This record gives sequence, structure tokens and C-alpha cells, in this order.
Amino acid sequence: MAAVRLWRCRCRALLSRPAGAVRARRGLAAGPEMHFGFQTVTEEERREKIYQVFENVAKKYDVMNDSMTLGIHRVWKDILVHKMNPCPGTLLLDVAGGTGDIAFRFINYVRSVRQRQLQRKLKHHQNLSWQEIFESYQKDQFNSLGDSQVVVCDINREMLKVGKQKAQHLGYSEGLSWVLGNAEELPFDDDKFDVYTIAFGIRNVTRIDLALQEAYRVLKPGGRFLCLEFSHVSNPLLSRLYDLYSFQVIPVLGEVIAGDWRSYQYLVESIRQFPPQEELKAMIEDAGFFRVDYENLNCGIVAIHSGFKL
Amino acid sequence: MLRSPARLLLRHRAGPAHGRHCHRQQGSGSGSGSDSGSARPQPPEPSLLRFLVCPLSKRPLRYEEATNELINEELGIAYPIIDGIPNMVPEAARMTHKKPPAEGSEQP
Repeated sequence: MAAVRLWRCRCRALLSRPAGAVRARRGLAAGPEMHFGFQTVTEEERREKIYQVFENVAKKYDVMNDSMTLGIHRVWKDILVHKMNPCPGTLLLDVAGGTGDIAFRFINYVRSVRQRQLQRKLKHHQNLSWQEIFESYQKDQFNSLGDSQVVVCDINREMLKVGKQKAQHLGYSEGLSWVLGNAEELPFDDDKFDVYTIAFGIRNVTRIDLALQEAYRVLKPGGRFLCLEFSHVSNPLLSRLYDLYSFQVIPVLGEVIAGDWRSYQYLVESIRQFPPQEELKAMIEDAGFFRVDYENLNCGIVAIHSGFKL
Repeated sequence: MLRSPARLLLRHRAGPAHGRHCHRQQGSGSGSGSDSGSARPQPPEPSLLRFLVCPLSKRPLRYEEATNELINEELGIAYPIIDGIPNMVPEAARMTHKKPPAEGSEQP
């Protein structure tokens, strides 16, 4: 109750604070002290706290995403996969992808591309022998992804558990694997993946610079880095509304649906602490990526950053 | 320096690093310790093994069927596979031999 009051005060303070002030706070983040939402904590504390957040919300993660964004997060993820435009054979590493949202979309996308390819091939080749018909069925059955593979890597066991269960329930198994690992210290060999994605994950990584270096390391030359993340709204009116919604509605939804106010308060605070579009772009360039670019979705509520390892 | 065995040793010497994560594993019913003893440990997917390396040394790992672990011989550490998911964080790894390969003299 006292916490609620405190939270309300903090919200009001935030809403009345000019946009620049939030950024100025971030300037203080230098040194071993980090932000956990608006709290200042040590690196180790931050890791622990974020682990707890996702441990707590794992089971309700999908329901909460739907209710908080009115289902729009699905569209954002679809846009990410469309931007990736993977062809059959693509090897994807999806970091912080515990519940499989990106992985399942990737599999669906590759399957449909593969199917179209096979159909086109058959159209140009009408008089098939029995042998060829037999082979085409075999290919269809056993290789609907054309050797594509997606590896989901997440540091949180609970999130992975939910994702794996979801995969079993939805019937995804081919070309899909799960690994528990840290984005800052990936357990994958150099130059292995065609695409690296991190959707709504990089914000929760404690050392973003290390995660970006690791992304660069595991990508093949020519590979692509794609990051979908909440970002900063430039339109002042929309920004006000968005703040109002974030701080007044989201923690309440968190409490009602997931029984967890604090985790969702962290969520909205962490969005405000995360570097804006241009700053993240510069960080991606610092990691060695080329042709770094970003696209704002919904006026900057989220942004997709893209870069290539050349 | 970042990826030296010494770093791992420090983590382990600090002691409760493994213990700290233990409480998170209780829910699954098969923790890293009980995994080798459970009726049917789930092996990792074979296609995954061609990507995996040790997150510390970035060197290839050997899959040990008997214990259902991924082993880094060089550093003498083993990563457990829990419910078919390789647990590739050094905090969850187990030292395979008692005597550390380097800086053994620092041991109190």
C-alpha cells in the first residue's frame, strides 16, 4: 500500500519531468552501478533481479503480451520475420527467445517459402516419373524447411520450459533446438549463423556491448543482426499518452493477470531506461556491424535495428 | 583473460555460485545432479552439437552419454543437459576433476 503510494508519486514525477531528464539519469549509469528499472543496483543484483522477473512471468508471458499490447506484439514479430525474409536453409539464432515466438514464426515462414519453391518447380515440370513423384513426397515430408534450423537461446530456464511445452503443443520439432545460455557469453562457435535475432530481449541484457560483440562473433560473414525492442516515441502527444498507459495501466494488468505488479513495473521502467534509436544504432556499429539501420514501428514505441557482418 | 580457466575457478571458489542457482532447478524434478541417475535422461539434439562450444573457452565439447553432459576436457568442466536442454552457463557447470589444471597453488 505504501509501495503503491510511492509508485504513484514516482509516476507523477515522471510524467511531469521533461523528456530530457530521463536521458540525463542514464548518463549516471557509468561504472559498476546499473539500472534495474529506475533503481540503481550492481551488475550482479541486476542479473538476479531480471532472472526473477522472467521466472515469475514465464507462465503468463504470452497472455500478458497480448493484453498489454492488445495483440500488436504479434504484428511486430511478424514484421521482424518478414524483414528477415529467410530462405530455406537459413540458420537462425534467436537469443532471449525463450517462449519461441520468433522461432515458430521463422519455421512457418520458411515452410511457406519452401512450399512455394516446390510448387514452382513442379509447375515447370509437368510430366513426372513415379520416381520423381516419390522423391517430391519424401522431400516434402522430411525436409519442409530445406535444412533450415533455429536455435533458441535464453538464460531463463522457466521461459525455455514454457517455450518447449508450447512447441510440443503446437507440433514444432523439426529444425528447432533449445539452449540455456547467456547472450553476453554465447555457447556457440564463430561464424555459424546466417541471422541473429533478439526480440524484446536486449533491454534485459546487463552488458549490451558484450551481447553485441557475441552476436557479431557467431554470425557468418554476410550474416544479419536483427533486434526488435521497445524504443522511444518522438511525438510529444503520443509520448504522454504512452507514458500514461505504461505507468497507470500496465502494472495494474500485471497485478490482475499475472499477480505480479513489480515485474511489470520493472518492464515499463526498463523501457524508459533503454537507449533511444540513434544511441542503440551507434552501439551496434561499435560492435563492428555495417549498414546499421533502424525502422520505427508505431511511431517509435518499438524499433527494429538491423546490421550486417561483412 | 576474460575466458581463462582462472575466471571459472574464481567463480567456483566463490562457492555458492552453483548453490545459488539450485533453487531455480527444483521445479523441474530433475536437477543437474539427479539427471544422470534418472530413468531416461534426454540427450541433446544431434544437429545442435555442431554449433555448441564452451562459453568460456569457445572450444568444442564432447558429449558424454553416460552422464548426459557436455564436457570441456581442457578446462575440466561439464555442462549438464536438463530435460534435453543443454545448460550452457558456467554457473551451472561441474568441475570434472578435483585438481584444477592451473593455479592450483592458490587453492586455500
